[in-house]
Amino acid sequence: MRNGKTRLAIAFSLPATLIYAIFFVWPAFQSFYLAFFKWSGVGEKTYVGLSNFRELLSIIECNVDAQFPFVHPSYGDIFFWPSVGHTLVNVLAGGAITFSLAFVLTAMLSSGIQGKKFFRMVIFAPNVIAAIALSLLWAQIYNPRHGLLKNFLGLLRFEDLAKTPWLGPDKVLISTLVAMCWVWVGFNLVLLLSAVEQIPQDMFDAAKVDGANTFQIFFQVTIPLIWDVLSIAVINFSIMALKVFEFPYIIKGLQAPPQIYTLSIYNYILGFGRREPIWRMGKAAAVAVLMQIMVIGMILIFARLFRREAIEYG
Amino acid sequence: MEQKNRNTRAGTRLWKTKILKELRRFHLYLLPTLWSAFNIFCVYWIVVSSLKTNREVFSNPWGMPADLQFENYLKVWQVANLGLGLRNSIIITLASVLLTLILCAPAAYALSRIKFKGSGWLTSTFIAGAGVPSAMLIIPLFVTMTNLKLINTLYGLILIYSTVSIPFTMFVLTGFFKALPSAFEEAARIDGCTEFGIFWRVMLPLASPGLLTVAIFNFVAVWNEYSLALVFIQDEKAMPLARGLYAITSSMIYTGNWVGLFAAVVIVMVPSLLVYILLSERLIEGIATGALK
Repeated sequence: MRNGKTRLAIAFSLPATLIYAIFFVWPAFQSFYLAFFKWSGVGEKTYVGLSNFRELLSIIECNVDAQFPFVHPSYGDIFFWPSVGHTLVNVLAGGAITFSLAFVLTAMLSSGIQGKKFFRMVIFAPNVIAAIALSLLWAQIYNPRHGLLKNFLGLLRFEDLAKTPWLGPDKVLISTLVAMCWVWVGFNLVLLLSAVEQIPQDMFDAAKVDGANTFQIFFQVTIPLIWDVLSIAVINFSIMALKVFEFPYIIKGLQAPPQIYTLSIYNYILGFGRREPIWRMGKAAAVAVLMQIMVIGMILIFARLFRREAIEYG
Repeated sequence: MEQKNRNTRAGTRLWKTKILKELRRFHLYLLPTLWSAFNIFCVYWIVVSSLKTNREVFSNPWGMPADLQFENYLKVWQVANLGLGLRNSIIITLASVLLTLILCAPAAYALSRIKFKGSGWLTSTFIAGAGVPSAMLIIPLFVTMTNLKLINTLYGLILIYSTVSIPFTMFVLTGFFKALPSAFEEAARIDGCTEFGIFWRVMLPLASPGLLTVAIFNFVAVWNEYSLALVFIQDEKAMPLARGLYAITSSMIYTGNWVGLFAAVVIVMVPSLLVYILLSERLIEGIATGALK
């Protein structure tokens, strides 16, 4: 009955395939196509070849502190490379901070202390709350007038520190990154903790008997044995961090300052604008294409880095 | 199991030793405790602050409000039309999660257990979607949706949410279906079950833990989603909760209505938290096992 089975399989796969093809795959190709045009969303598309890319990638006039003009002639030059920089900070620095803290917490929670499930539940909790609510919460924490951080520092008599404009142009990137890591650590904690708990205790005991100290145990026992989960966690994290949009976009409440622009935000603004639409759809598509290239690049790099035989044990 | 019986001297000694042992590991409790305390305090702080007046927020940041200003909540509920937002969120989330399952469960079953030409390629295409940033989709989709007159409608958003949930859902479900032992399948076939019956009566129920996990995950993701709603919904009547919150944020900040903002944040935050506290074990185990597979 092989034909009958195949017919069923095709029937089963068809709805998903159709929806996916029409609303996911086709638009992705359209973006790739659109990146070579100048288009305002209505009317004619003008073929401009690589000019969108050239405009974005040129380094002539990068000035993220410039006032946000709506009719600046070389508009894209100002914001693209800073956006890339901010995005990379989020991915690289964010990744380092997130995974360091996640590992530390994993080590603490897997050492057999009481209340592990409670801690895990509370630390993971931000991941189930809407980013918009969290972002506004942190906006209140960082608020220069009535903020939690300001009041807390004042309580400790760190008056000068309390006056810091956490969401001001120089600090907003780091401040937002701290808030995002606060969420990300919880998620990766769950992944890493479940992986570490799979390791049989004998492994750790044997290593200790052999005289290994904490660092050696970590790098030569723990890491290799959670390699597969770690690779998924890292790759997934890098894609998530690259795409970040909601947190930075909302943290200042009114309008996202250019000092926090990520690639996703810049793509959105080029296409749909802030207060008024910009309608540079071709350029927005070009940003998206460059983002996609970055994602593919990162996946290839990490796949290479993590490539290795899985260790069988037991 | 250790005896917690303190009626014997040995029982008391055991219990005391246990406490001492934990105290020696004090340094291990430090970071988790501080972190958890911070999280809990944030929720407490924003709830308490939402019940103050604007003046109290500045003058008395740490203390309790003089009177509980429940009217902050009533005002925000009315101004932001949160009742409608809630209704929209419920409809959109339930519908899109259901649609995703209906689309993906049969497909995942077919692709993972029935070998046909192109099945491997198709599976990879589904999963590869996880690496496509939404930035690649929103502009052409916006045009398509406008042409289909689905902008600013719940239907359009439901369709989009289902679509973008496909990569992750297919990834999890193909893994799940593949791992089911074929013994059940063969037994059902021997019993004369049709191919469809095998799926419907045997394999689908067996995969229900996976279906439930992915449904919960998608539910949380869609309920909290904001960026796609930002692009596709401008009409206040069609806004889900998170999107509605953003719509009133700017006006609240502009007028300095901080307590109203706090109240809105609490309204968005607390339901998710309550459901989470009930379901957290399920959700966390699901993510953990999903990653391990």
